[in-house]
Amino acid sequence: MRLETRHWIFAGLFLLIGLTLASGIRLDLPVSPDTQRMHDFIEGLPNGSVLLVSFDHEASSLPEIQPIARALLRHGFEHKLRLVGLALMAEGTAIGYRLMCETAEEFDAEYGTDYVFLGFRPQYIAAILSMGESIKATFPEDYLGRPYDSLALMRPLGDYSDVAGVLSIADGSFTTHWVEYGGRYELKVLAGVTAAMVTTYDPYLASGQMQAMVSGLRGAAEYETLINRGGEGARGMLAQTSAHLYVILLLILGNVAYFLERRRTN
Amino acid sequence: MDRKIAVVVCFAFGVVMFAQYFSAHPLARSVNQTIADYWQIIFAFALIVGVVGFLSNNLQRVHKGQDRPFRLLALAGFVIMPVLAMIWGIKAGTPFLWVFENVQVPLQSTVFALLAFFVASASFRGFRARSVPAAILLSAALIILISRSFATGPLSDWLPGVAEWIRNNPSMAARRAILIGIGLGSLTTSLRVILGIERTWLGGGK
Repeated sequence: MRLETRHWIFAGLFLLIGLTLASGIRLDLPVSPDTQRMHDFIEGLPNGSVLLVSFDHEASSLPEIQPIARALLRHGFEHKLRLVGLALMAEGTAIGYRLMCETAEEFDAEYGTDYVFLGFRPQYIAAILSMGESIKATFPEDYLGRPYDSLALMRPLGDYSDVAGVLSIADGSFTTHWVEYGGRYELKVLAGVTAAMVTTYDPYLASGQMQAMVSGLRGAAEYETLINRGGEGARGMLAQTSAHLYVILLLILGNVAYFLERRRTN
Repeated sequence: MDRKIAVVVCFAFGVVMFAQYFSAHPLARSVNQTIADYWQIIFAFALIVGVVGFLSNNLQRVHKGQDRPFRLLALAGFVIMPVLAMIWGIKAGTPFLWVFENVQVPLQSTVFALLAFFVASASFRGFRARSVPAAILLSAALIILISRSFATGPLSDWLPGVAEWIRNNPSMAARRAILIGIGLGSLTTSLRVILGIERTWLGGGK
């Protein structure tokens, strides 16, 4: 096989990411206002408040989504919030359940009292609207098939008026559905999203329809700094930074080559 | 006649859902709950259509010998996952979750991660400042890329501010214009469907 330019580019990126991940260096990042706002919102909730955590993502974005979700769940459990997990995308179900169980274990949180995982409901718009009328009618059982009323945490919950808000962990535009349809019930919406989705949510954040947003690996790393717990976000930031700088270098090299070629042909 | 029934049903549900949105009356909330429940049930049946389609498509191709190993693998996954869930359940530590975590997640993440390599290659070969708009786009991309990285020294002082400005002004203006356009488009299309002017959703041409 004849090696072409793109093969060298691929190899360079692979080596760079591999080396930076292996180096284990952690970067000390300044905290952005967006991330600080999320931290302040959660800190401002009284202990014992119920927060819905919706895992609205696919498995493909897990390397970026998991650090965000884990940092936010850790803060939630640390702040003694009671967390109710659910998923509006089927693939988010198993991931959300595992993440909640793993994080709860770190804080000795008890299933049924401190946290519950309700599972997946098809047709996200209908599920959001239905929960606004009755959470119990939408999820008569939790993910493991336990009846709603057998879970101490769920028993007093009727609809959105009994929860402090929803935290949507999303890799697409699912959070907008929480804003658009949950907004009808004055549900407060928080978001943990991939970096590529930031501009989608900026208008909702600016208008106050969304309370706070943590985005991308950088957001996760910043949040880990705020809660004083190192994690995958900080670890991934060095690899992401090196990949970004590599792309910037390639952009500059490509454009220099383009202008030199243009001058030569002119 | 059957088309007329569909149009009347669509009109009735459209008007009811529109009207109940503005009411907090228990009846309106009950109607909303019931329709949302049926919506989910109908959607679940739509999933069955997808499942049947997946099965018949793959079985036919296996029979014809097209991509047989891949199709058989897909069918095996289709059968194995529900069987694992039914026998051992879906709790943490079960084979179902193990397969999901160790097969599906890495496979999907791998395919998604390939994007990074294509982006790197495309940034070298395709993203050129051929015109003033392209140069502006390129500059904005560079600033946003650096702002999402770890910048030190003098860069860290002014770069976040510039990146915020790009997000909060040109980017947000464009996004809001798109959102308003989508909103108006959805509104007019919904009205056309509810009033029976738009009937292409019924199928069957004119």
